[in-house]
Amino acid sequence: MAKTILIVDDSDSIREVVRFTLENEGYNVLVGVDGKDALKHLDGKTIDLVITDLHMPEMDGIELIKHIRAMPEYERVPILFLTTESQTSKKMEAKDAGATGWIIKPFVPAKLISAINKVIR
Amino acid sequence: MDSFRNKFIEEAAELIDKLEVSVLELEKSPNDEKLIQQVFRVMHTLKGNSAMFGFDLIDSFTHNLETIYDMIRNGQLEVSKDILNITFSSVDHLKAMLDEQNYEDPDFKTVHDGLMGKINSIINPGNAETVTQKTETTKEKSESLSTYYILFEPNEDIFKNGTNPLYLLDELCSLGDHKVFAHFNRLPGIMEIIPNLCYTYWEVLLATDQDVNAIHDVFIFVETDSKLEIQKLAEENLLADKLFVEEVSQLAEVQKDVGLVTIQRLATKAVARINKEKAKQFTKERIATKDKTAASIRVSSDKLDHLMNLVSELVTTQARLSLFAEQTNVPGLAPIVENVHKLTRQLRDIAFSIVLIPIENLFGRFQRLVRDLSAELHKEVDFIVEGADTELDKTIIENLSDPLMHVIRNSMDHGIEDARVRIANGKPAKGKIHLKAFYSGASVIIQVSDDGAGIDTETIHAKAISKGLVPSDKKMSKKEILDLIFLPGFSTARKVTDVSGRGVGMDVVKKKIADIRGEVEVESEVGKGTTITIKLPLTLSIIDGLLVSIDSSPFVIPLSSIDKIYAVDKESVYNSFNNLVTLDGTQIPFFSLRKEFNLKPSNEELEQVVVVNFEDNRVGLVVDYVIGEYQAVLKPLGKHYKSHDIFSGATILGDGTVALVMDTNKIIKMFATRK
Repeated sequence: MAKTILIVDDSDSIREVVRFTLENEGYNVLVGVDGKDALKHLDGKTIDLVITDLHMPEMDGIELIKHIRAMPEYERVPILFLTTESQTSKKMEAKDAGATGWIIKPFVPAKLISAINKVIR
Repeated sequence: MDSFRNKFIEEAAELIDKLEVSVLELEKSPNDEKLIQQVFRVMHTLKGNSAMFGFDLIDSFTHNLETIYDMIRNGQLEVSKDILNITFSSVDHLKAMLDEQNYEDPDFKTVHDGLMGKINSIINPGNAETVTQKTETTKEKSESLSTYYILFEPNEDIFKNGTNPLYLLDELCSLGDHKVFAHFNRLPGIMEIIPNLCYTYWEVLLATDQDVNAIHDVFIFVETDSKLEIQKLAEENLLADKLFVEEVSQLAEVQKDVGLVTIQRLATKAVARINKEKAKQFTKERIATKDKTAASIRVSSDKLDHLMNLVSELVTTQARLSLFAEQTNVPGLAPIVENVHKLTRQLRDIAFSIVLIPIENLFGRFQRLVRDLSAELHKEVDFIVEGADTELDKTIIENLSDPLMHVIRNSMDHGIEDARVRIANGKPAKGKIHLKAFYSGASVIIQVSDDGAGIDTETIHAKAISKGLVPSDKKMSKKEILDLIFLPGFSTARKVTDVSGRGVGMDVVKKKIADIRGEVEVESEVGKGTTITIKLPLTLSIIDGLLVSIDSSPFVIPLSSIDKIYAVDKESVYNSFNNLVTLDGTQIPFFSLRKEFNLKPSNEELEQVVVVNFEDNRVGLVVDYVIGEYQAVLKPLGKHYKSHDIFSGATILGDGTVALVMDTNKIIKMFATRK
C-alpha cells in the first residue's frame, strides 16, 4: 500500500513542488496550510510521515511537532521539517520537540527523496 | 585518452538526449514495441561505450536499467508509470554522471543509490537486496576502496523521534560491502524492558569507495544525540580478507563489543597480508585522467553543408575565371587569377578538414576495446589495423563508431574461439582480427575480419525457423541465410555476456549503417572466420583529379588513386600480349580506355598510361592526353545514369563542358570481368 505523507507549509509553491515530487514517487499526499490546518488530518488515519515547515501562521512547525508527539496514535510517526542552513537554534528546538530529521531549503527533488528514504521505507 | 573520453562524453550526452526523447514517446504509446527496442538499444550502446571508457559507474547503472527494458522486450514486464518515472530520473542522473566532478557530491550518491535500489526492486521484486549487493561488489572491484569501522550507539529514546535505526543501517550498507555486528548486551532482564527504548547498538565494517562524509551523511539526523564513531581502517577492502572477517566475527560473538582498538590492530595485520599478496600480482596502473574542456565548438551540419556548397560553387567559378584569363590574355589578370586559385584551394582544404577526420581516432578506440575484451573474455587476439589514415566525414565516423564496436565485439565474443578450441582445430592459439579501411572509388570500405569459428549457416537457419523469422519450408541460399543475422531479435549467442549477445548486435549495425547510406555485407566460412564489410559513400564533393582526354572527351581520374603516369609508344600498347606492359622493369596489366569504350585507336605515336592503384595491385589505364591536375566538383549524374557506377559523378569544366569522373576500382573490375 502506498504510504501517506502529510505536507504542512504555508507557501503554496513549496506545497505544490513537494506534492508533485512525492506523488511522482508514488506516495499519497495530504496537505495542510499551517499547523492548525494540519491537525484536521490527524484524526486517527494512518500517516506514515509528516513534512512540515517551521514558520507558519496560526500554529508554527514546532508547536505542530509537539502536538503530534502528544497524540498516542502519532507519537512515533517520523517528522521531517524544512529549514534553512542558518537556523541552527531552530533546528535543535525542533529536534527537542520530537522531529526526526530535517530538509534544508532550497532543495531539489532528489534531496527531498533521499531525506525521506532515511526515515520511511 | 583524454580526447576519447571527451568524445565519449559528447556522444553519451547525445545518446542520453535520444533516450529521453524515446522515453517521452514511449510514455505516449507504452505498447509500441519499436520504441521499446529503441530505448533498449540506446541504453545498450551507452552501456557498451561507458564500459570501454572506464565510466564504470555509468556502465553498471545502465546495465541494470537496460535489464528492465530487456525484460519488457521479452514480455516479462510491462511499461508502467513507475518504470517510466525511474527511467526519467535515471536519464537525469545519467547526465550528472557524465561529469565526474559530481561523483564527490553526497547528493549525487544518494540519488545513485536510490535509483539503483529502485531499478533492482523492479528487476527482482522479491529479492532487491541481493541484486544490489552483487552490483555493488562488481562495481567496487574497479574503484579504490577503503574500509571503515563504524560504531553506532543510538540514544535509548531514539524511537521517540520517529527514527528507525534499521533504516539508517540499511542505507549505510548500501554504500558498499559490509559486515554488521549487532550487540544486545545492554538488554535488561525481561521484567525491566521498556519496549519504547532502544537497547541495541551496532558495529559495522564497511568497505566502500565513498568518503567519510557519505557515512556521516547517513547519520545526519541522529548524529547529535547518538554515539557515533567512524574510523577509516585501511585503504583496502578488508572484507575481502577472509581471515580478518573471521577474527572480528569471533570476537564480536564472545565479547560485548569488539571496539575500535582491537579492530584497528587486526586491520593493520590484514593490510600487511593484503599488501604482500598485491606485490605478487601484476597491478594495473590506472591512467590518470584530467578533466579538460573540449577545445571545440559545435556547428550545425546544415551550416557545414552550406559552406561546402558555396566552396564548390567558388571552385567552379574559379575554373571559369582561369580559363577566361587564359583566353583574353589581359596583362595583370594572370597573377590575380593565380592568387584566387591558391586561395580557393586553401579554402577548400580548410572546409574539408572541418568535416573530414581520419578514421584513426575511431580505430584507436578499438585497440583499447579489443585489449579490454581480450582480458575480459580470456581470449588472446592480434588486432591489426590498416588504412587508419583513410579520411571520412565526421558525422559518418561518429555514426560508424557504435556499429563497428558491435561488430568487433561480436568477433571477439562469438567469432574467436577459446584458445583450447583453436588449438584443437589446428589454428594458432592467438586469434586474429583485421580491421581495414580503404577507398574504393567513391566509397570507403571498412572490413572487419576474424579467423574465428565462422557462422554456421545450418544453426542460423534452424534458429531463424524456431524463432519464426522465416517459414521452415523456404529454401534459402547461403547468402540469404547469412543475412538473417541482420534481422531484429536474432541472436546466435548461447549465453548473454556482458558485451554482446542480447541480440541487439547486427540489426542495429545494419540500421545504423543504412542511416548513413552505407551497406553491410557478411561473408563467413565455418571454421575459417567471418568478414563483415561495411561500404560507405565518400561524401567528398570536391576531389583533386587528373584531367585526361580520350577521343577529345574530357575525363577525370581521382588523383588519390593515381600512382604514376608514363608515356608509352603506341606499338607496345596495341600489340601487347596478354594486356601487359613493362614499365620501370615491372609488368603491369593495362586497359586501353579507347578500346574498352569501343572507340577507334588513336593516331598519336605516344600513348599515356596512367597507373592507378587497384586493390593490392597497380593497373594501367591508357588515355590519349593528360591535360593536368584539376579540382573537380563532383555532381551526381542524375537518376538515368545511376546504374553506371563506373563513374562516380560528373564535373563542369571552366569552359562549361562536362567531364565524367571515373571510379577506377569499379572501372577496372568491370573491364576485368568482361573478358
